[in-house]
Amino acid sequence: MNEKTPIIDARSIDKFYGGYQALKQVSLSVHAGEFVALVGPSGCGKTSLLKILAGFEDLSGGSLTIDGHDMVGVPSSARPTRMVFQKLALFPHRTVHQNIAFPLKLARRPKEEIDRRVGEMMELMHLRAAYATRYPAQLSGGEQQRVALARSMVSQPSVLLLDEPLSALDVKLKKSLQAEIKRLHRTVGTSFVHVTHDLEEAMMLADRICVMRAGRILQTGAPSDIYFRPVNGFVAGFIGETNLLPTRIERPAGGLRFEAPGLSCAEPVLGTDQAAEGLEAGEAALMIRPEMIVLSKNAADDGECVMEGRVEEFFIKGASIQYRVNVPGVEAAVVAEVPGTSQPPADVGDNVRLSFARADLFVLHRD
Amino acid sequence: MADQRKSWRDRGLMLATLPVSALMLFFFLVPLGLTAALSFQSTKYYRVVWSWDTGTWIDVFTHGHYWSIMLQTITMALACVALCIIISLPVAYALVNRMRSVENHVKVLIVFAFLTDAVLKTFGWVLFLDRTGVMNGMLETIGFGPAATDILFNPGATLLGMVYNLLPYTIFTIYLSLARIDRDLVLAAYDAGASRLRTFWEVTLPLSRPGVIAGGVLVFVLSLGVFLESKVMGGGTSPMAAELIRQTFETRVNWPLGAALTLVVIAIGVLTLGGAGALFLHLNSRKGTA
Repeated sequence: MNEKTPIIDARSIDKFYGGYQALKQVSLSVHAGEFVALVGPSGCGKTSLLKILAGFEDLSGGSLTIDGHDMVGVPSSARPTRMVFQKLALFPHRTVHQNIAFPLKLARRPKEEIDRRVGEMMELMHLRAAYATRYPAQLSGGEQQRVALARSMVSQPSVLLLDEPLSALDVKLKKSLQAEIKRLHRTVGTSFVHVTHDLEEAMMLADRICVMRAGRILQTGAPSDIYFRPVNGFVAGFIGETNLLPTRIERPAGGLRFEAPGLSCAEPVLGTDQAAEGLEAGEAALMIRPEMIVLSKNAADDGECVMEGRVEEFFIKGASIQYRVNVPGVEAAVVAEVPGTSQPPADVGDNVRLSFARADLFVLHRD
Repeated sequence: MADQRKSWRDRGLMLATLPVSALMLFFFLVPLGLTAALSFQSTKYYRVVWSWDTGTWIDVFTHGHYWSIMLQTITMALACVALCIIISLPVAYALVNRMRSVENHVKVLIVFAFLTDAVLKTFGWVLFLDRTGVMNGMLETIGFGPAATDILFNPGATLLGMVYNLLPYTIFTIYLSLARIDRDLVLAAYDAGASRLRTFWEVTLPLSRPGVIAGGVLVFVLSLGVFLESKVMGGGTSPMAAELIRQTFETRVNWPLGAALTLVVIAIGVLTLGGAGALFLHLNSRKGTA
């Protein structure tokens, strides 16, 4: 399999449940060894897409090939994919060893090979050898997670599908397992398709992210693209907080001219690469990420663009301090995230200037 | 599990269950004690004589006839258990996995059949299967000749009646344990490369074991007390323990002997329950805290 041919090639997939359309013309390609995250709110169709890839659901329209083979009508047992379930789905009546060995046992591998590969998998997943004879209920949540990963990877599938396996864990355990999954991906070089509603998790893990909403893929791109060049306000607002200022744009040749109430820029012109694809002249949204904003009480250190307002509230978050500033002419409070200090630079009710570089602005579709 | 064992330490709980405990003690253990006491008496001219001897018990243990009936009862009960489980597994599996849309209707129908009086149902079978019954009539009209089916009044007919009347117990216990199996476990088995049959064998069947054991125990214990089916459908060709006991009390008016035979049947039932309980605990302890 060469680099160029995708290992998963899904084209224009539709999925109907009765009269409800869960997926609308979804196309997705995943390359060998790539880590792709499907992200979106519940009901966006990400799990339906994963189930179609796994073979638990049939597609209603479109085509799907995995590893070069047409997958329509192929049962999950015959697909080169393995799934890590949200609730893990470890067999409660089987030991850790029997759980991990199950796919190999079904493939009728010789016993020595099964024992060797189960041992290797347990070592790779940092599972103590003594756990082999334990039952899943005797393990902690994190250990069960490792067993589930080991069971899915033991038969060396071409694609590993992960259905929000970390969503039920507490924050600390989640972080350590995210690192574990990333490490596993680096070690084995299998393609991973990871479903999550947590864009931060997706940003940390994935090479490429698909943001989905209401059965459609809104945007596919590298994590930095999703974060800094979102296609619309929904994608922009999906991770962290962001500022979207209503704006009117004009598109003279080779540039982009914008105008937003409350915002004054020395030269209100942006490069053409600072706008979402397919954006026409007219109503749009101007995005500035909170951490790009410099907040000050005096006019001395102005950037290229400036907004003036009054501090409505601020939150000390430790590493940073978040300010919410009311800017005349802007409906929603503008959020600015400044580096944390023991002395907050401004208090509630103070008049402040928010300044930022023109290069940090991005124009996207208004929702 | 550990908490359950300590329940007797909880005073509030003990107090709360006191009325039920007292009721059970009075209406269950006292008659049982009286039955035990009765078995140590003898009879003279159809009257109980309070003699306090072991004559009745010697009688019971020296007469092979009683034990052959006990053995016949246990054999019938075991056959009934086996048939009930074999029939119930696919029925319950279909209820859970294949008949989602009509699941509740089917359950209601089974409950209706279950709640209909056993006497009515048993005589219904006779009307249906009898030589002059509905089935033979139909078979005769389509040319199978008279008495195409002659299956009443033999041990097989008794077994048919027993299985029919006791089937709902296994269907429902197995249904409940099958319904509790996480659908993802089945998908996980498919995903790992297992066929449907293999998945049933490796995942569904082992996980339905609690229901199979519970249903099997229920049916076995209830089978020990069967007399209606053997009388009505078996036509007395397959004497069972309960019928023997009834005759001993009513026809032979030998109450001490009847009491002793009753205790034997109860002992068989208790031993079975104890054995099944021990097996269950053993299986659970192997699974750890599950």
